[in-house]
Amino acid sequence: MAPIPDNVEGAFLISIIDFILSFVIISGIGVILAILPVVNRFWVIDDKDLKGGH
Amino acid sequence: MLDQLLSLFDALLKQTGLAHLYWGNFAMIGVGAVMIYLAVAKKCEPFLLIGIGFACIVVNIPGSDLAQPGGLFDYAYKGVSLLIVPPLIFLGVGAITDFGPMIANPKLVLLGAGAHLGIFVALILAKVLGFSLSEAGAIGIIGGADGPMAIFVTMKLAPHLLSPISVAAYSYMALMPIIQPPIMRLLTTKAERNIQMAQLRKVSRLEKIIFPVIIAIIVNLFFPPVAPLVTMLMLGNLFREVLIVDRLSDTAGGTLLNLVTIVLTVAIGSTMSAKTFLSMQTVEIVALGLLAFVFGTASGVVTAKIMNLFLKTKINPLIGSAGIASVPIAARVSHIVANQENPKLFLIYHAMGPNLAGVFGTAISGGILLALLGAK
Repeated sequence: MAPIPDNVEGAFLISIIDFILSFVIISGIGVILAILPVVNRFWVIDDKDLKGGH
Repeated sequence: MLDQLLSLFDALLKQTGLAHLYWGNFAMIGVGAVMIYLAVAKKCEPFLLIGIGFACIVVNIPGSDLAQPGGLFDYAYKGVSLLIVPPLIFLGVGAITDFGPMIANPKLVLLGAGAHLGIFVALILAKVLGFSLSEAGAIGIIGGADGPMAIFVTMKLAPHLLSPISVAAYSYMALMPIIQPPIMRLLTTKAERNIQMAQLRKVSRLEKIIFPVIIAIIVNLFFPPVAPLVTMLMLGNLFREVLIVDRLSDTAGGTLLNLVTIVLTVAIGSTMSAKTFLSMQTVEIVALGLLAFVFGTASGVVTAKIMNLFLKTKINPLIGSAGIASVPIAARVSHIVANQENPKLFLIYHAMGPNLAGVFGTAISGGILLALLGAK
């Protein structure tokens, strides 16, 4: 990977890449969260079974 | 006889700190005193400001060895510089945080990225002012409004700037209730501020247990540079959500968090000696930090407004500013501003979603910055 130039153009470049990638990745996390409720079809955990410590 | 007494007195004086005091020490002692005042009288982040302010006062008394190599504050600083303390803070934060509001409304995670424009505004302006790109990256991350992450990224990119960056980050986080509301009101209409949001669904225990495991896998896979912080955040959260290790959860979120907070605050305060802190560079960093917070708040609100163009069920744009992170202060500000507009509005739970997403937004931005700048 070519190094980012240490000048104002480099600062713009790094900012644009970072801002766009942040949206892409956090959208990915959003998609995972959106499908997370699917796990409830397979297993239900009752809080009462867990409480009380070990 | 008098001469002998005077020279003896002079020799004694030179052994004390008095002979080495200069205006800078007085100025920094004043800064430390103001921090303690804000913590005690105004209740601004007292858990942070008391330790920082006190250490700031002490290290500015010439002759104090606490921050010198081998001194207790120096060991506290080593805990920060070796990046032991920030992940432990995150462990504790994870143990006291309910990620339910974020899991319940996944579309709001976008606000966690949208509210971070301030990072890049500060980064670009820092470069314009003549900082190196690594220094500019560290300054920019102040806009992530996440103390441990700001410290972590700074220690990787520009460790010599730890003092002004951490002070700016924590000070502005404490000042959120003053900085954010005018910007939020300026960018929203009365009708928008009155939008009532639907109640969130209940998140199951299983979802809450799986969530930290999945996030830890994703972060370690894609963002190794910031993985130590987020991994510990998720471990703390797993302790909390499995319910069966309540002793570990209570310790991580209670005693341990309190202990590392003491270490962290005295470490930050101990870097605030007049000789290193009082410079034009510090003034520039503090100003850039403020800009980062202003632009982050504004971009969060604007992102929420843009989302409303596409959403069938509208969201109250006041929760957008909470995406800046600074958990839970920014969420509380969203709630208070909405509540002042309409006492029937109760936004805190809704605002916690983007607020928690903001932690990930800062981690992602920081991770990408570290990767692009080649930091190990």
